[in-house]
Amino acid sequence: MLEIKNLHVKIESKEILHGINLTIPDGEVHALLGSNGSGKTTLMMTIMGYPEYEVTKGEIIINGNDILDLDITERAKLGIGISQQKPPTIKGVKLRQILDFFIESNSKRKEYIDIMVEKFNMDKFLDRDINSGLSCGEIKRSELFQVMVSLPKFLMLDEPDSGIDPEQLAIIGGVINECLRIKDHRGPTIKRNTSLIITHLGNILDYVHVDCAHLLLDGSIRCNGNAMIMLNQIKKAGYEYCIRCQKLTQDNFEKEELKC
Amino acid sequence: MLNNKERKLALNVKENEEINLDEYNFSTFRNEQPSAIDSIHELENNEVDSLASVGVLMEEENRSGTYLLYGHDAFTIARQIEGFECLPIAEALQKYHWLSDKYWFKALKKDLDKYTSAISSTIPSGYFILVKKGVKIEFPFQAGLFMNQENDAMSLHNVVILEEGAEIHLITGCTNKHKIRKGLHLAISEHFIGRNAKLTNSMIHNWGPELEVRPRGGTIVEEGGTYISNYFSLRPAKSVQMDPFTHLKGDNSSAKYLTVILSTPGTFADLGGRILMTGKNSGAELVARAVCQGGHVIQTGLIIGAASNCHAHVDCAGLMMSEKGMIEAIPGLRAMHPEARMSHEASIGRVAPGQVAYLLSKGLTEEEALSMIVRGFLDIGVEIFIPELDSAISEIAEISGHGEE
Repeated sequence: MLEIKNLHVKIESKEILHGINLTIPDGEVHALLGSNGSGKTTLMMTIMGYPEYEVTKGEIIINGNDILDLDITERAKLGIGISQQKPPTIKGVKLRQILDFFIESNSKRKEYIDIMVEKFNMDKFLDRDINSGLSCGEIKRSELFQVMVSLPKFLMLDEPDSGIDPEQLAIIGGVINECLRIKDHRGPTIKRNTSLIITHLGNILDYVHVDCAHLLLDGSIRCNGNAMIMLNQIKKAGYEYCIRCQKLTQDNFEKEELKC
Repeated sequence: MLNNKERKLALNVKENEEINLDEYNFSTFRNEQPSAIDSIHELENNEVDSLASVGVLMEEENRSGTYLLYGHDAFTIARQIEGFECLPIAEALQKYHWLSDKYWFKALKKDLDKYTSAISSTIPSGYFILVKKGVKIEFPFQAGLFMNQENDAMSLHNVVILEEGAEIHLITGCTNKHKIRKGLHLAISEHFIGRNAKLTNSMIHNWGPELEVRPRGGTIVEEGGTYISNYFSLRPAKSVQMDPFTHLKGDNSSAKYLTVILSTPGTFADLGGRILMTGKNSGAELVARAVCQGGHVIQTGLIIGAASNCHAHVDCAGLMMSEKGMIEAIPGLRAMHPEARMSHEASIGRVAPGQVAYLLSKGLTEEEALSMIVRGFLDIGVEIFIPELDSAISEIAEISGHGEE
């Protein structure tokens, strides 16, 4: 589904990502771990096509097609959806208008959106300005709700667990699992949406199962593997452990692809 | 970097304000009695469309009455509602002698400026509305002011009187025949709002690029009365300048001005508003929004607090959509009583790229995103849903997103 090859990205004149390689097969959910400032959000915004993130080298391939020439709108229409960590507030623009846009784009969505509004108790947000005056947890609910009802084919969630209390976290986890469920199937979920979840705390992984995790440090992916094992190590010894681990691995095995 | 012309303009924007009245033809309005039109259903299709764009509808089922000034000819009709009367102003002055004694030029001065003086020298055109005590008019009354003669000076003087507890909504739409290149529109509106009465006055302008416009307004509000003024300019005239004055005379009276303008290259709009509060516990609010694609906009608001526990807020905001053009925001407060509570805010900026990108990531095109953001910017809390104002906002938002051909 998603294949990123040797991706280099700079903002203004500074290179932030240095040769990212990442593959997420169809139907898998991956986590992207990493400390603050490691480049996680940059990777996500670059995949979405935000113009201030300049790709200087490499490829981003979705379903076999390089999407680098597509603008944000075209990528959204291709089915790439994003739930941002810090979305902008837009005075006067209501959540209802965004939902109306989705319905105008595809009238068959109306019934599904109505059901989801009720299921996730979103009525009270519909006529409020987008992201204005909302708590951190409410913003995340609103973002996740929007990305869910846009029915994306490839989903990216930026720090869905930051800044929220445990009770909210459980709710957010429920919304994410709903987002990940392929909507065409009735009954038990047999396949999930291909997704990438950014988290530096990892708390959301108590609620959402991921198939694989990748560790991003200083703009490079340093490690790939089981999310819970990686998180346990990080919780015990911090991200410094990963840097030491990588150095040891390099020294001992001189391998390009590393495993902690 | 500004060139010399732009620099001069930046330092002295008001140079466009003065109009040479000698350039316009006043003869019809000075010398001839306005003639009556029997039916408004003989207008050309494009004229009907122009009037509809400013909220004046030929299908009158949702209106309590219509006054149409078509050039110099007037059409007046009103539903038969007890306690509600609408007449051409000349007829009303003949019918009610008290009108000239008690109300004519009592909310603003005849010699306020050269435009009011010019209007006072004409044979009166315009409408008179009287809503008697306790009568609440369900549907809006519409007034269409349609200029159809090249180089004409349209001149009118309206008087609206609401007795105690009365309510009405006026929709005034101003526009011109497509082929008219040059013209001058002068108007005086005097409103007298009685005790606990409420007047909502929604004005929609859609002018040609060479027209000059000078409306003058005066409103007096008695105890517990409410005045709401909504002004929406879809396509601005070459030059419009207005500074309507409201006197909140009675205790617990209130006034609210909402002003929205889309400014385009080559246009000048000085949209002011003054509210004097002398009634105890009176409240005033001025909200102005400008979307600038070029041209010059001045948002001036002055509220004078001269009574105990009076309160007021002025909010001016501008959105620059072009590198050309100018928005000047001058929110003003003048406290003349120690218990006056007054505040203001003003902001001017462009659409934040992050906001546009955010909406693009939902699948909107850039034009759709800009339209949505501008529409949100113009959401200034009109109290009741007024389809005509909603359409006006949508049109401004759409033009802002797409640009105008």
